[in-house]
Amino acid sequence: MSTARSVTREESANRAGSPVIALLGNPNTGKSTLFSALTGVWQKTANFPGATVEAKLGSMGLPEGREVTVIDLPGSYSLAATSPDERVVTQTLSGRLDAVPRPDGAVVVIDASSLERNLYIATQVLEYSFPVVIALTMVDVAEARGIIIDENVLAECLGVPVVKVDAPRGTGLDSLRSRISEMMGTSRTALALSYPSDFQRGIETLQERVGSFSQKLGYSFTRPEIIRLLVDFSDARVDEIQQLLDPGFAEDLEKIRKQSAGGNTPALIEAQARYGAIGGWVQRARQRGPQTDNTWTDRIDSVLTHRVWGSLVFLLVMGSMFQAIYAWSGPLMDGIDTVFGALGEWVGGFLAAGPLQSLIVDGVIAGVGGVLVFLPQILILFLFIAILEDLGYMARAAFLMDRLMSRFGLSGRSFIPLLSSFACAIPGIMGARVIGDRNNRMTTIFLAPFMSCSARLPVYTLMIAALIPQRTVVGFLEVQGLILLAMYAVGVGVSIPTAWVLQKKIFRSGVSPFLLELPTYKCPRIRGVLRVLWDRGGSFVRRAGTIILAASIMIWALGYFPRNEEVLQRHQAERESVEADFANQLEILARGYRSDLTAKGLKDHAKIAPVFESLSGIYEEHETQVARLEEELAEEEPALTKALLVAKEERTAALSSLAARGKLEFDLARSWHQARLTADERLSDIESCEAGELLAGSWLGQMGHAIEPLVIPLGWDWRIGMAAIASFPAREVIVATLGTIFKLGADTDETSESLREVIGQARRPDGTPLFTIATALSVMVFFALCAQCAATLAVMRRETNSWRWPIASFTYMTGLAFVASLATFQIATFFGG
Amino acid sequence: MAEEIEEPETLDRLTRGTRARVLGIAGEASTGQRLVELGVIPGVEIKFVRAAPFGDPLEYEVMGYRLSLRKSEAATIQVEAL
Repeated sequence: MSTARSVTREESANRAGSPVIALLGNPNTGKSTLFSALTGVWQKTANFPGATVEAKLGSMGLPEGREVTVIDLPGSYSLAATSPDERVVTQTLSGRLDAVPRPDGAVVVIDASSLERNLYIATQVLEYSFPVVIALTMVDVAEARGIIIDENVLAECLGVPVVKVDAPRGTGLDSLRSRISEMMGTSRTALALSYPSDFQRGIETLQERVGSFSQKLGYSFTRPEIIRLLVDFSDARVDEIQQLLDPGFAEDLEKIRKQSAGGNTPALIEAQARYGAIGGWVQRARQRGPQTDNTWTDRIDSVLTHRVWGSLVFLLVMGSMFQAIYAWSGPLMDGIDTVFGALGEWVGGFLAAGPLQSLIVDGVIAGVGGVLVFLPQILILFLFIAILEDLGYMARAAFLMDRLMSRFGLSGRSFIPLLSSFACAIPGIMGARVIGDRNNRMTTIFLAPFMSCSARLPVYTLMIAALIPQRTVVGFLEVQGLILLAMYAVGVGVSIPTAWVLQKKIFRSGVSPFLLELPTYKCPRIRGVLRVLWDRGGSFVRRAGTIILAASIMIWALGYFPRNEEVLQRHQAERESVEADFANQLEILARGYRSDLTAKGLKDHAKIAPVFESLSGIYEEHETQVARLEEELAEEEPALTKALLVAKEERTAALSSLAARGKLEFDLARSWHQARLTADERLSDIESCEAGELLAGSWLGQMGHAIEPLVIPLGWDWRIGMAAIASFPAREVIVATLGTIFKLGADTDETSESLREVIGQARRPDGTPLFTIATALSVMVFFALCAQCAATLAVMRRETNSWRWPIASFTYMTGLAFVASLATFQIATFFGG
Repeated sequence: MAEEIEEPETLDRLTRGTRARVLGIAGEASTGQRLVELGVIPGVEIKFVRAAPFGDPLEYEVMGYRLSLRKSEAATIQVEAL
């Protein structure tokens, strides 16, 4: 309950540290650009209790060396509390929040090109008695449209300083700083608008009514708060007051509202009073130049919102955005994977094998890599969003898509977040910030993980390649491709009724209002775009990263402990026996060369040891080269076939020249090399086998056994159940886990032939195949719908500022995945899968 | 209908490019509040600029800026054509 707070805390917030000013204004006014220009790079963010928006806090230097803290409040058209996200602006101005300090003054940012609408919120702020400065932005845009504003006249009308600023060019900033400096600590007579007498009386009556319990409340409402209470129907404080302080309040308030509005709504009376005053001021302060009816924005819009051309451009923009998130991020993500793989190996080399090495390499380093791997997709999406938003195209995209999205109870604003969720739900959920309406935003966030993201692809690829026959049906359609398509359809199909239920039953909102401003087109600012990328990327790594890392380490520990001593000892014994065999072979080889030579002597032998080294070198180089060439060969044949031949010839030549130095030594070294290879192969098998047995005996394995009765109806066994649990940090982890449990080692991926084979051959205890088509479909459907992605849940928590949403999402998705997977398996089995 | 009762004209029925004066708003309280805050109040002139490709939503000019409304929202605003 954020409103109930004591006076002492309110005062202490003021005393502590530097003075505080609030920065507020309409969306699309260049407020954020002004904020960065005033405060520089170092900023903090603060979460508002109960709201999903956040306030940015920055420090600004004033001319005489003083510092003030600036709070960047969410852009809003009014102080009216129509949603919890908007209420925070009023609550901050009145100093009712613990999370943000009470401001000592305010800067209202006003877009000169639509002065009337922008002045609306200014009249509301001016009703407070703290000092205010008006920052007039977009003056160039206005002048290009023939609108010239005399800031001195406007200042005279409003009774506060008005400064023209152009934050991107840096003009007017010094003057703004001086005005702020002058105003700090001064007080001002609050603006007294001439409301109709009934409304005026309503304010006074309500003030008296509220005064009766302000003692109990610990503070008294300011006049602007009283106006909000009188006008705003959805003010949550009414319920609070009703329950805690004054049971008859709601009824009385209703009466006062009726009397004050005289047949109209209080909202209309308020708006008329404000716009009435604004009209007078604007008439004095604004000189209209030549009216240019067909502005640039109009000409661009006649193309961009055109039925044919507009749709085409839209498809093109969305297509390239999706392609960028999906394809451009690939190499970057692979790069991050490779770097962290190498880093793990490198660090692992300094640590003795054991729990610490495994924790650092497989837990921490792999976990950090697992966080950073999402950055490319997040940054690419926000690069597009920031540019499109700056341009003004985001509003047009919402305008174009609204009709489609409103069928699902959403609005056009939900389209881009949901589309990008097909690449990854994380940028999608973060992108839902562009949706102003709270219910719509929550629904979009909830639906985002149902879109089949790229992390599901490895699961689909593995299952389809291993078990779905390559067959063509109805001409050109491939069964494998159809099944892949079906997996995408499952997610979308489920999200439609989910959206409906959320909108109608949970939020109980009708169709949410659209009411979208279509701003004039503007050129995007590189610095602004970079700042958005820095903010979004940084906030993901700092806030969500820790949760993702914790989840990765938890799953690592579940799969690592307890270490079964018997398994470790047995495999250690096997390792020793392999080494003993190898030593034996070497001994025999040494004797064969010279009867008095021992294995140790052989290793130091001046003639043979160097040959062995060279030989190993040649094979190693050859192996990697041939492997690389064969991989590339699949893509571009003619040029590479030749390269492969050359490589093989080079190897033969190198071997012959080595053999020419001494045939006997060469043969001996070759046998030695062969023996070593065989031994290494056996060691690696033992390693994989040990890892598999240890995993089976770990807590994770035990959990797999524990849930086996639950997953048997899905056609799974404990191993698949365990792999599903292990994939909690990220869906694609199931592939590596299956690799380990089927004793192939954890480095296998979905394209690995051996994993596909092993999956095809895996048996149940009774000897029947573990994986049938029905099982594969059931696994795929489960992964299409489940919430096995710690990163998504962490971002959901971060963006909704509450654990409620991620918990609801996890429960709903897991339940749904289970039921759908059960149905899939049973139906597929029934039809003979 | 026996007597010709003239239906009040609403904003969604304007033809493209024409102007009208707002007479009143008869919608849900919260949407209504948003509309008046954004400048759609009785006496204000409003121009229908264009419709989205599939006929909904609609784009208007009011108080020198562009506002997009759904057809259903525009239908709650009574106007007189100018």
